[in-house]
Amino acid sequence: MGKKTLWKPESDFFLQQILQNISVEGGNMAQPGVQMQGPEPYGAHGPRQQYFSPYSWNGGTVLAIAGEDYAVLACDARLSEYFSILSRDSPKRYKLTDMTVLGCCGFHGDVLTLTKMLDARLKNYKHEHNKTMSCKSIAAMLSTVLYYRRFFPYYTYNILAGLDEEGKGCVYSFDPIGSYEREVYRAGGSASALLQPLLDNQIGMKNMQGVQRLPVPKEKAVALVKDVFISAAERDIYTGDQIIINVITKDGIQEESFPLRRD
Amino acid sequence: MHLQYSYSLATFSPEGRLFQIEYAIEAIKLGSTAIGIQTSEGIVLAVEKRITSPLMVSTSVEKIVEVDSHIGCAVSGLVADSRTMIDKARVEAQNYWFTYNEQMSVESVCQAVANLAIQFGEEDPDPGAMSRPFGVALLVAGIDEKGPQLFHMDPSGTYVQYDAKAIGSGSEGAQSSLQEVYHKSMTLKEALKSALTILKQVMEEKLNSTNVEVATITREKRFHMFSKEEVEEVIKDL
Amino acid sequence: MAAEHFGFSGELWGNGPSPGGFYSTPGGTTTPQHGPTKHTLHPMTMGTSVLGVKFDGGVVVAADMLGSYGSLARYRNISRVMKVNNTTVLAGAGDYADYQFLKEVLDQKIIDDELLGDGHSFSPKAIFSWLTRVMYNRRTRFNPLWNQVVIGGFNNGEPFLGYVDKIGVAYEAPTIATGMGAYMAQPLLRDALEKKPNMSQSEALELLERCLKVLFYRDARSFNKFEFAIVTAAGVEILQPRSAEANWSIAHLIKGYE
Repeated sequence: MGKKTLWKPESDFFLQQILQNISVEGGNMAQPGVQMQGPEPYGAHGPRQQYFSPYSWNGGTVLAIAGEDYAVLACDARLSEYFSILSRDSPKRYKLTDMTVLGCCGFHGDVLTLTKMLDARLKNYKHEHNKTMSCKSIAAMLSTVLYYRRFFPYYTYNILAGLDEEGKGCVYSFDPIGSYEREVYRAGGSASALLQPLLDNQIGMKNMQGVQRLPVPKEKAVALVKDVFISAAERDIYTGDQIIINVITKDGIQEESFPLRRD
Repeated sequence: MHLQYSYSLATFSPEGRLFQIEYAIEAIKLGSTAIGIQTSEGIVLAVEKRITSPLMVSTSVEKIVEVDSHIGCAVSGLVADSRTMIDKARVEAQNYWFTYNEQMSVESVCQAVANLAIQFGEEDPDPGAMSRPFGVALLVAGIDEKGPQLFHMDPSGTYVQYDAKAIGSGSEGAQSSLQEVYHKSMTLKEALKSALTILKQVMEEKLNSTNVEVATITREKRFHMFSKEEVEEVIKDL
Repeated sequence: MAAEHFGFSGELWGNGPSPGGFYSTPGGTTTPQHGPTKHTLHPMTMGTSVLGVKFDGGVVVAADMLGSYGSLARYRNISRVMKVNNTTVLAGAGDYADYQFLKEVLDQKIIDDELLGDGHSFSPKAIFSWLTRVMYNRRTRFNPLWNQVVIGGFNNGEPFLGYVDKIGVAYEAPTIATGMGAYMAQPLLRDALEKKPNMSQSEALELLERCLKVLFYRDARSFNKFEFAIVTAAGVEILQPRSAEANWSIAHLIKGYE
């Protein structure tokens, strides 16, 4: 299909902020704004100087919608680096408890570390306090975990979906350094700029006249999620291969997946 | 004979006892009486204050304290030791709230304080731990998602949940009185009256609004320390 | 700019050690560096692509035997594949010194584990997870091991193939190709696997050899001498170095790059 968007390091606000803030052992990193090395033409003129960048962008998109008595969290399964597809089977959803799922994407090294550490924190919590952590508490904890790395952040976009204490669907979205908010719907990661306005319109009923704001039924949310991911896969090269949808209700978490375009 | 064992904290006696802990528990029995009663509406804490001189400012004796807005604590024994434990409880409760954005459960607070209490004599203890056991017992009362709860903790760090519990010098008599009057459907008002009635029985001084401290923890008012007037209001019906 | 690096800047010995200076890599400065302690944040002797593919009943990883020093083909007989234990092999691309360091640490780790004599041995998954942690922790301390590592294994009747790089990005996949191989070998590997999901061992070897040959034709940092490490239920086998039959007869037809 048409032109696809390519992620560029200089276009990512957070990465720029992050790289500018990192310091090593008192001194700033040798190069201001560490250069992300793209697939440099082999045999380029002159000797090649390689710089070390502690970050990479591995793409991936996550999306969550909170309903009356359910929450939906969807993600794709593509793992990329520059123009290469590393894996077609790397879902960005992480089941944290029986009714909380985390969508996490960005720099995959941080994603792996963060999710593994969260798992450990949740187990310890259960042992210490004899209960499973609520969605609200996980959100608060994740915020502190992210903020503790304020000056060398986890370069990850996180969206938490689950049920609140009253059994209502809840979605929490985060920025990489721990700012968070409870919301009704949110897209994060690679295709977030494509999906969010669509959700504003279809779920938030924004920019429409004479519409009734009715709660979105579960089936509609799931159908919408599928549609928007198909569209995202068309335009964003870092979204594709598979969509994985988690529907969280009082009866537990149901998962389904569908193929997306693989190019 | 006993001396060999009684001064060493880390050594069991041949009968399998740790005397220092037992002595610490004995020390509580010299302390002023404290009573806690749990009802479905909330918990009552009532303690005796020993006013040893008419020149003493009675309000400066503090034996019931707030740990968090949903947890209160009554102490008996070496009150100075309790300060460290209360500090620990308060810090833990706030840390928990900071990280998890909800109030810490009563049992978790007890667990945290117990962890400090058991560290006596350790080589590399956490801040606050001492070389000897704490010489106080606590009645920790609070409301969390499990409802109103009352815990008793002794110097060994053991904590047990109670419907009603008395500690301190008058605890033996008070505990048997509690056993008689307590019933599951007790209202908070009844509990308040019973607590003070029993306290009155076991106190050497005549009970009045300056030599007792009363607090309740309820869903509505959370931790609430009774003013002099409120105490008088309860006393006049005794 | 380039002239400076190639020694026309009036230095005594262009690009060589300046008198009293430390010898530096091509492209680096020839004057000693001052200031705060710096970790080596650029690689020296490098190995190019590493390939790996799962097959029916096992997994095979491969790498050529060249150690490049910039554009200089400096070492032409170095091994970049290793046996970790009876169920795991590893192949490394990137800085060869870091690879050797990693190999030493891993070998010692296996010996320490063996010495316990409790019959335990690390599964491929465990080695993979450990490596991921090591690489991530090193990058977090800004002292990375400049490698891409491919781990192959066979455990509990399941083949394992995983990738870890210098910043701790890690994943499992049925086919893996690093570096230039990601552009030239990976499509061939995926295509072959799609056409035949259950390859035999010999088919997998043949496939990798074909990929290595393609890389030898087009990747200037590759070499026509390579090693394969195979893991099956029977254990680990590292094949003797071999070469592909290359044909350069059309090379003279390529014009315009003189």
